[in-house]
Amino acid sequence: MNLAIQITRGLSAEVYKYKKTLTFWLLIIAPAFIPAINFLILWRRGGDIIKDGNAWDMLMQLSMGPANFLFPFFIIMIALLVNSLEYNANTWKLIYAQPLSRFSVYFSKVTTFVMMLFITLMLFTTFTILVGISMRFVKPGLGFEVGYDYTLVYSLYLKIFLCTLAMAAIQFWISQRWKNMILSLGVGIAGVISSLIVMQGWKYAKYHPYSYHVLTTQGLSPENNSVWASMEHVYYSLIVAAVFFIGAGIEQTRKRIV
Amino acid sequence: MSQPIIQANNLDFFFKDFKALDQVNINVPPGSIYGFLGPNGAGKTTTIRILLDLFRASSGEVKIFGNSLKTHRDDILGRVGALIENPSIYKHLTGRQNLEVVRRMTGVGKRRIDDVLEIVRLRDNADKKVKNYSLGMCQRLGLASALLTDPDLLILDEPTNGLDPSGIIEMRELIKSLNKDHDKTIFLSSHILSEIEKVATDVAIIDQGKILYEGKLEGLKSGSDIQELRIELNDAHKALPIIQGMNFTISDSNAHYVELPITGREDIARINKALVAEGLDIYQLKTSSENLESVFLNLTNRLDQ
Repeated sequence: MNLAIQITRGLSAEVYKYKKTLTFWLLIIAPAFIPAINFLILWRRGGDIIKDGNAWDMLMQLSMGPANFLFPFFIIMIALLVNSLEYNANTWKLIYAQPLSRFSVYFSKVTTFVMMLFITLMLFTTFTILVGISMRFVKPGLGFEVGYDYTLVYSLYLKIFLCTLAMAAIQFWISQRWKNMILSLGVGIAGVISSLIVMQGWKYAKYHPYSYHVLTTQGLSPENNSVWASMEHVYYSLIVAAVFFIGAGIEQTRKRIV
Repeated sequence: MSQPIIQANNLDFFFKDFKALDQVNINVPPGSIYGFLGPNGAGKTTTIRILLDLFRASSGEVKIFGNSLKTHRDDILGRVGALIENPSIYKHLTGRQNLEVVRRMTGVGKRRIDDVLEIVRLRDNADKKVKNYSLGMCQRLGLASALLTDPDLLILDEPTNGLDPSGIIEMRELIKSLNKDHDKTIFLSSHILSEIEKVATDVAIIDQGKILYEGKLEGLKSGSDIQELRIELNDAHKALPIIQGMNFTISDSNAHYVELPITGREDIARINKALVAEGLDIYQLKTSSENLESVFLNLTNRLDQ
């Protein structure tokens, strides 16, 4: 059986498992959380906040800060959920005893995990833009009537997605390797907190894998459309992600499945 | 005899320094219900995990359907259905949805799900969430998922574990009918001798990682044609690989003697010839049926406890 068929089958089964799970709802509800709050803020107090300046820029500011802070915790949670699903159901031995190569099974899981993160960020972007557009009707006059470069917003969050792949890979590896949830949560939270401290000005902050998405958006504002001008953090992130995803894959194809 | 469905040669397996399997040999004849009997911790599940490529033996080889598991893994697993220890079930899904997950991985047709639900008599409860299932129903669902690909070989690890008496009887009937009506070879592990006795055609007994007996169930019962052979000779270390190469299982040895179970007098002659041909000096060949019987008795006592 060729690899493409194996991976298609693996993916199809992997996606199906999340039917009616908390994980599935998280993917939809979590990215709506910050936009919902922003909707309330703009609706009730929009006039006070946007005195002068671009309404859209203000909305982007209100979105990016909280998103950059909360998204890492979302990654930690999803990495934990996709792996603890198998631990709790005792199903590692089920999925690895099927006539699919271990690589296909692993690859399906990783792909599903990464797609979940991507979809969530793209939903978040879409919801954020919808908040702006809805203000034209809910509260006209705030300044949302003018158009905005939506592609730029999507590119920005695509870059954030790429920059968080490093920590996503690390969290995935830990959650897959150890059943203990506390370990994965502990490392994740320690990683996020320490990155916040390191980024206060330490020059080696760029080597901290949990900090790339914040560093890459620092000094970058939506009005200067140079999202892809500096690729340093994207490259760092992709390298770390490749190392951990490949390492976790090699480990999974060799390890004893209990 | 036709080619064995499962043929495992000299499997060794370690958990760190602990030797969990010691030169395990298994030969499962086609069409048999092969009972794999041993106390808890004897190495049954470890052996089964090796047969499914979940664990990899430190040495030795596994052939299933005549092909090496190493080189034909995916093809072999496509023809093997397995139920390993506690059930592997997603509790947030219904019985049918659980089967759908496995169906998607194996690529069999959708209608097969109804077929296997019918076989394990779970059709009426198929759309209930699994968290509301009894243990017996969970085991039957596990069996259904093992049957999904219509495999030629079923590997069932303690399928009656934790079931109530009626569940045990039901599972036993199911296993018999799968063997008889659906032509499946069944490899069945258990730590309860009486349970194996009721269904198996062939048995192997494993204890502390070593196979103590392998053969027909009747052979085990009568004990008449199984004997323990003790060979005293000048170089036992040289003799071990020769004897193992003839597919015998060593039960005990040191530098000066080797003990092994045999099934007839012809075996003694064959072994003797082979050893002499290799230039070994044989001092004594002694058989005793008593010894082996006592091994079984002891084991049986421990198993039934």
